[in-house]
Parts: sequence; structure tokens; C-alpha cells
Amino acid sequence: MRLPSSRENGEGKPAGMRPGAAPSAAQATMQMSAQSSSNSLNRLALSAAMILIGALAIVLFFAAVTNDDAVQYVINWQPGENGEQEPSLLLVYLERYGIIVTLLVAAAGVFFMVIGWRLRAGNIRQAYWARIALLWLGIGAGAYIALDIFNILNSAAMDREAVDFGALAAAITPALVVMLIAFGLWHWLNRRIDSLFGGEDSLLGRETRLAWNLLIPTLTIFVLVAARPLEQTFIRSLTDKRFAGSAVPQFIGLENYTNLLTFRLDTVACRKSISDGPCDTRANGSVRWESIDRELLRAGYRTILHIQMGDRALAISGLDDDFIEAIITTVIFTVISVALELIIGLFMAMVVNSKFRGRGAMRAVMLVPWAIPTVISARLWELMLKDTSAGIFNKILLDLGAIDAPLAWLSDPSLQIPTAIIVDVWKTAPFMALLLLAGLQTIPGDLYEAASVDGANPLRRFFSITLPLLRPAIAIALIFRTLDALRVFDLFNVLFGRQQLSMATYNFETLVSNQQDGYASAISVIIFILISVFAFIYVRLLNVES
Amino acid sequence: MPGTAAESSMLLGASAKEWRRRLQQALLYFFVILVAIYALFPFYWAFMTSFKTENEMFQTAAYLPREPTLKNYEYVFSGGSFLLALRNSALVSSATSLFALVAGSFAAYALGRLRFRGRVVLLYVVLSMTMFPAISILSGLYTIVRQLGFFGTGLSLLVTYPVFTLPFTVWVLTSFFRGLPAEIEQAAIVDGCTPFQTFRLILLPLTAPALVTTGLLAFVQSWNEYLFALNFTATNPSAQTVPVAIALFSGEFSEQEPIAEIMAAAMVVTIPLVLLVLVFQNRIVEGLTAGAVKG
Repeated sequence: MRLPSSRENGEGKPAGMRPGAAPSAAQATMQMSAQSSSNSLNRLALSAAMILIGALAIVLFFAAVTNDDAVQYVINWQPGENGEQEPSLLLVYLERYGIIVTLLVAAAGVFFMVIGWRLRAGNIRQAYWARIALLWLGIGAGAYIALDIFNILNSAAMDREAVDFGALAAAITPALVVMLIAFGLWHWLNRRIDSLFGGEDSLLGRETRLAWNLLIPTLTIFVLVAARPLEQTFIRSLTDKRFAGSAVPQFIGLENYTNLLTFRLDTVACRKSISDGPCDTRANGSVRWESIDRELLRAGYRTILHIQMGDRALAISGLDDDFIEAIITTVIFTVISVALELIIGLFMAMVVNSKFRGRGAMRAVMLVPWAIPTVISARLWELMLKDTSAGIFNKILLDLGAIDAPLAWLSDPSLQIPTAIIVDVWKTAPFMALLLLAGLQTIPGDLYEAASVDGANPLRRFFSITLPLLRPAIAIALIFRTLDALRVFDLFNVLFGRQQLSMATYNFETLVSNQQDGYASAISVIIFILISVFAFIYVRLLNVES
Repeated sequence: MPGTAAESSMLLGASAKEWRRRLQQALLYFFVILVAIYALFPFYWAFMTSFKTENEMFQTAAYLPREPTLKNYEYVFSGGSFLLALRNSALVSSATSLFALVAGSFAAYALGRLRFRGRVVLLYVVLSMTMFPAISILSGLYTIVRQLGFFGTGLSLLVTYPVFTLPFTVWVLTSFFRGLPAEIEQAAIVDGCTPFQTFRLILLPLTAPALVTTGLLAFVQSWNEYLFALNFTATNPSAQTVPVAIALFSGEFSEQEPIAEIMAAAMVVTIPLVLLVLVFQNRIVEGLTAGAVKG
């Protein structure tokens, strides 16, 4: 079997670019025997170069780590008079480099060395892999140079100074050397690959190489902006790191987590102004409870919730009442708003799926709330929900006679969550409708005709055709929206600031306003776990995979 | 007279049917109007507010501005900082969606069309990028943006926005590539195309509708993004994007919120998006059908 242009052309170069690229088999054999000694020497040189690059990568990484200022600081640390704790070398290393980067550098080094070692055999498949490795090494070095140049020019522009070209040249020289070597070898290998190497290439091999070439940009971004920051969050959650601070953080074990999650249950009695009389109540009718034990208050416990049982109550108290309250708020918000969105979204989807004039325009109109940025729609609702009759919501309700006096939608604590739900449902029900509309369009129309011939009424048709067939679409929409709602940030941030916290805004306040990076990271990890649990339950319950 | 009885009952049936049909039609249009009010009323309110005077903000709400004024729009465009934010947003969003399309279609072709070991694992790796809230990587991203030297520049957003645009793009495009018939590729290989040529010359043009959809969604997502933009560009007024500029808007009277001006700015920002959605409405539905339901 001879695949067209399989040899010279694995990585997408148009055929016929290289002169004499596909010589006949006989010619090739003759040439190869004539040049065999110089060829094997060339192969050996390339092999050595690859092994050297791989070894150097690992050695240079190690050298960079030991010369790192932060690492040097820890190594040279002397106990001072102010009784600082000794900084942990492991923590500094993890903070600066982490496990993922270390593993990737090691893997890349080993990859170069293994390919280099195998190149001696003269197999063309290994040569193709070497070519890929050299190409990306060159591109990586090039990106590094671009970054250096950008940084030097940018800082010069910031300080309004002239650019120091000597320093610039000195800074980029090492990377420039690496880039030139990598591209030089790549170019050389590109030209001689068919004379130096032989053997059959397979279609599977070609596809595998192309796949990795195509995936490298996405994977690089993935490591840079998702995997590495996530790793840092996990590491920092075990420390007392301050956000954007210069102090060296310390390992503090699980302290952040215990502080966040510790809660206790106590029973408390209600307050009575007359002994043996009825329980005291507030103006709004809620019972006044005795506070929990003084010692507990001193230890930092704050009561979050009272569950009434006769004239006693179960008091749930925690060390970080704000966080537990934020979890409760977010879960309530999520459950109610997703349920409402599903109902309204389904209604909207069925309306715009039926036949009427102007259906296309209507589908676009339906998407308007979704296209408005959350920051803006939160402001807009803030305006509509003003607590005087200047707010259109209050005015409409007053005109209709539904309320006697304007409501304080945004500042009354008992109205805050309903308000957030209204705003969120308005904004995201259209997205739900869109996903469900896509599902509705896959249901064949003759099913409904058959059902109505059989005398099924619309309600029956809805429950025995639409709903079951829409199940996959509903499942996907529910997962998308639930995970989104649990992460709600913009809406709470703009509408309530610190007055009413969701999990994400509490995380934000801890990180940015209180600068407690370690504590905030522990919050992130808990949110991450909670969301994973929700996702897992959903996937099991709705059986999405099938 | 059985014939007349049957006839009259048929007549009666027909008119009852006709009445039911009309009733259904009326009900349908009532629902349509309901949905339209639901979707458009807040938008209408923002539009009207943007023409109201500062004083009117404190009077009883009125459906039409009492003394319509263009002052709010003048204010928004005076000073040029809002125009700068618009330019920043346009640049960042287009560059982000372009990158998401290029990298995303590469990755999606590999994941949806090529056979290689580790394919399934990589697909899950890409999908796991959507599992955590943006806030949970904020502090890590802050460190990286600082290390790269991108803090306070638009590049910080260019580097971080793929966190949410790329997984979605890869997900939708992968299922789109999978849906294309295998014969196309076989024919291309017989004709002497390399896999990359097959991708670039044959498969990519076929996925144009999905590319438009995902590109548009990536654009909307980046255009509306707030958290990263707030943290990475708020310190530098010349790098702020529109949502940040609006959130940090300060009016003529510093002690109160310049809500009418904010609504004017909101109109300027939202109308292009609404027009985009109007133009591409069909494509969006198609793209999501492919991505979310079949996937």
C-alpha cells in the first residue's frame, strides 16, 4: 500500500515543495548506500543534539530554581530577633513553580532524550516526532522573546524613560540562541529527513502527530490559565497567604477549612419578659431567642439560624457565619431561580416554536435580556426596583392596588433574595428557552398529529410527548444553568455589594477587600467541591450519558 | 331524515372547530405579546430613562420622559474615556473570539476527527475547564498576569478570557466535526490530501455556520465579562473595558449615582449586541442545537 505523499508530507506541507522529495525506491537505495557513512554521522549528530537539549532543559530548570530570588531568600534565611517563623522551602517552590510545571519540564526533557536516543536507528517516525519537538521548542522560545521585549518596552513606557537596548539585547540573548538552534535544526531536518531516515510511516502515526500539533495551543492555554491557577488555589488554601502582599506565607494545615466549616448545634430558650409567660416576639412576629453560651461567643461562634421546636429552638452557629449564610443563600437562590427559569423557559420555547407571523423576529426579541451585560441589567433592575414610587415596579404595583406603600426591594433583607431571583430569571430564562427550543425542534411533528387523531388533548400531548422527548435537552439546560447559578457573581456584586453575599461574592470580598488569599482559596476549593457534587448528582439523576 | 342530521352536526362541528382554532390563535398571540413584554419592557425602560433628566429620577416613574434630553448621551461621549473603553472592548472581544475560533477549531478537529491515543482523556480535560467558578482562579491568574507583565493592559484579558471561551468553542465544534459524514474525508485522502489539507480546505468551510455561532457567543461572553476586567484593568483607565467603565461611572454630581447616564451608556453598548443577535438569531439556534443537545 502506498499512501499518497505519505513520507515527505506528514505535517501538511503541500506536495512537491522539496525538490527530489519522492525519489523512486531504487534511486533512494542507491543514494543511501553511497552516502550511508555521512548519513549515519549526521543522524548521530542530530541524536546527540536532541539528547543534549533534553538534558540541558532539565539542568537549566534546576539552575533557574536554585537561583530564584525567593528560593535564595529561604535558603539564606536567618532567624531574626522578631521571632518570625522559618519560611518553608517546599511552599516557596510550590508557589513559584508548582507540580504541573515541574512535571511538564521533566516530561519535555525526557521526551527530547528518548527521541534523540531512538533517532540513531534511522526510523522516519522518530524523525517526524523530533521535527515537531524542535518546531514547538522554537515557537516557545520565540514567544518568550516577544514577552521579554514587550515587558521591557512597556516598563520603559510606564516610567517614561528611553528604552535600554543593551539590557534588552542581554535579556533576550539566551532565548534567542535557543530559538535559532531549534529552528536551525528543524530546517535542516526538514530538508534532509527523507535522505537520512527510512521506514514506513502509518496513517495512524500521521494522524496522531497532527492531532498533537493541533492541540498544543489549546493545551498550553489550559495549563497557563486554568490548571496552574487552580493548582495554586489548592496550595494556597493550606497557607496564610495575603493577596498581592510580599510577606512569605506559611503552611497552616487545614486551619482555613476548619474555620470555614465548623458549626455546632445548641438548644436555646426563648426570651420571656414575664417568667412563665409567652415568648417575646419582634414587631414582625418572629420569636426572640436567648443567645448561645457566652463562652462560645467568645470563641467566635455566631448563630446563623434558629429552628423552632415548641418554646425552645435549635440554634445553628458557626465560626464563619457569613460563609455558611452565603452557602444557604446561594443554594436557595439556585434552586428557586433554576426551577422558575425552567418553567418560564419552557413556556417561551413552546411559544416561539409554534407557527405565527413574525416568529423569527420574536426569537431574536426573546434573546434581548440574555445579550445585555449582567452589570448593566443589574443596574437597570436597581433602577426599576427603587424603593420609592420613582421605581416603576413599585408604581405599577401601587397603581394595581397590590401594595399600599412602596417596597424596599433592594435594602429589605427579606426581599433581597426574591429580588435577585427575579433579576436572574429575567436574564437567563431566554437562554434556557434557547436550549429547549433546540430540543423541541428535534421532535417530529407527526407525533403530535398522531396523538391528536387518537384524541389526546393538548395537556395530555404535553405530558406524554413533549416532556419525555425533551428530557435530554432539559437535562443539559438544567446542568448548565445550575452550575452557572451556583457561581453567581456579577448580579450579587452590583445589586447588594456586601449586604447580601453569594458564595462567589463572599469569596471575592475575602480575597480582594480583606486580602486574605489563603482563606479565600479555601473558600474556592469548597465551592469547587460543592459544584462537583451538584454536577455528579445531576449526571446520575438525569442519566445524561445514555 | 338522517342526512340533514348528519349535515347539521357536521356544520355545528365545523363552526365549533373554527371557534376553537380562533381561540387558540388568540391565545397564542396573547402569549407572544406576553413574552415580548417580558423580554422588552426593561429594555424599553432603560431606553426611556436614558432620555430623562437628573431631576426626573426622583419623581414618580413615568412611561415617557417629561422633558426629553440628549444630555446623558452628550455626557457619555464627552471626555472620550467611554469611547476608549468601547474601543478596548471591541479589540479584546474580537481578538479573543478570533483566537478561540482558531485554537478551538484546531483542537476540535483533532478531538472530533483524528484517531490517537489519549483522545477521550483530553476531551474530558478540556471540559473540566468549565467546572470551577472564575473567582476560584482569580488569585492564581493575578499572579500569572503579574509574572507575564500584563497587569493593567488589555493583554491580561486576552490571555485569561480563553478560560471561558475556549472550552465552549471546543465542545460545540467537536460535536459539529463529528456530525460530518466520514466519506468526505476518505474522498479527500484518495485525492491525495494530507489530513491538515482535508481540515483546512474541506472540513473547515463546511463548519462555517458553527464557526459563526461560536464566534458570536465567544464575542458576547467577552464583551460582557466583568470579574477579570475589573481586577486586571480597573487600575488603568486607558485599558478598562465597557462593563468596568460603566461600573466605575461617576456622574456630574459625585454624591449620587448617575443612573440616567449609565442607561445612556448601556444603550450604546447593548444596541450593537442586540443587532448582532437579530442578524444571527437563526445561526445561534442551529449552533446550540448541534452543540448542546447532540453533544
